[in-house]
Amino acid sequence: MARKRKGPRSAPKTQQKARPQEAHAKVKRPLRKPVRRTPAWVPALATVGVIALLVVVFLAIRYFSTPAAPPPANTTQTAQVVSTITSLPASELEQVGAGSATNHITAITGTALTGPTGKPLVFYYGAEYCPFCAAERWPLIIALSRFGSFSGLTTTTSSSSDVYANTPTFTFHGATYSSQYIEFQAVETTDRNQKTLETPTAAQLALVNRYDSGGSIPFVDFGNRYAFNGATYLPDSLQGLTWDQIATDLQSPVSPQAQGILGSANLITAAICKLTGDQPATVCSGAAIKSIEAHL
Amino acid sequence: MAGRDRLVGAAVAAVGLAGVAVSIYLTFVHYSAAPLVCSTSGAIDCERVLTSAFAVIGGSALPTSAAGIVWFTVSAGLAIAQLAGRGSPLLSRAQLAWSALGLATVIGLVFIEIVMLGAVCLWCTVAHALVLITFLVVITTRRPGVEGGRA
Repeated sequence: MARKRKGPRSAPKTQQKARPQEAHAKVKRPLRKPVRRTPAWVPALATVGVIALLVVVFLAIRYFSTPAAPPPANTTQTAQVVSTITSLPASELEQVGAGSATNHITAITGTALTGPTGKPLVFYYGAEYCPFCAAERWPLIIALSRFGSFSGLTTTTSSSSDVYANTPTFTFHGATYSSQYIEFQAVETTDRNQKTLETPTAAQLALVNRYDSGGSIPFVDFGNRYAFNGATYLPDSLQGLTWDQIATDLQSPVSPQAQGILGSANLITAAICKLTGDQPATVCSGAAIKSIEAHL
Repeated sequence: MAGRDRLVGAAVAAVGLAGVAVSIYLTFVHYSAAPLVCSTSGAIDCERVLTSAFAVIGGSALPTSAAGIVWFTVSAGLAIAQLAGRGSPLLSRAQLAWSALGLATVIGLVFIEIVMLGAVCLWCTVAHALVLITFLVVITTRRPGVEGGRA
């Protein structure tokens, strides 16, 4: 009986099948497929890129939402607008009262401020670029016109690069004022591009330094008895409008423009009435003016 | 904790302390009405920004810069805590979340400055930049694999 030769036993079939893999097992393989990691600087660069893009988007929104400057009004149009706003019926001003204006006018002390002819002096200090000055010139013109008259007023707009860009307004530069009750002096320090326009006298500068040490503009001094700085209403109600449109809006006492501008004009009128001893009576005897005077 | 991690943590803490200083200065200016060392005309107009309605939190009397003091203090605190500890994953995640919150707030404030006010406050921009730097450092040095405790 033949015996099977003893020797290395042949591998069982399962092991036989493994043999080809044993050969491959000698070759080192990674345990898993290497994962490509994102470089550390990628998220940071992406963040900076997104921030930069957002800033550009914000600037674009600002640019396209900023109202363009209205085309400048010619001499005839300017005269028509001034005539309209300075001949509003007293009844409308009475109806508006203080309107939506904020009374910044405060009492001050000092030597009575008078002009060259001895009349009480109203002094304005501002600049053409300033949007708050732009807003305040409307009520100043209306109020002062109740005591006298302007000539030589011209239109302009506030700075294109400041807040409330391109606010339509007038400038006191080159204008004159005459009145039997008061005198008016105005200094527009710079034009709408912030180029030097007018230089205050030493006396005018002393007033600013004393009563407006913070340097806010516009600054208005009523005979060294009352003063205010800043605007008494916000210029946002004037945005995107032309001078004609504003003049038209002022004829409606409930319009935001009338509430702001005429309300401010009444505040200014009351302060001037204090200087003139409530003269003229047609201007200073109204209930609205009396009420405001009582709170000055 | 690796030396590099310590350096990064110290940098975040230093940025946080610088932010606290800037925020304290802005808060001081708000309450004392002291003149701000900054331009007040043109596009760079600190006064315009800091006297706007957005200079206070939600119509309250609390200046926005006070929130900056809180944010930078917490950010610096988290960084110091990580320096003192062993780089806890929880602290790391908290630092990331806090930085992201700060950056989102900065984006909102920049929107207000540019779009609504049309003016930029220089000192506010310094604070915003410090928030951005904190966020960039945190996301650049974050290592999710190590964070999870896995090799």
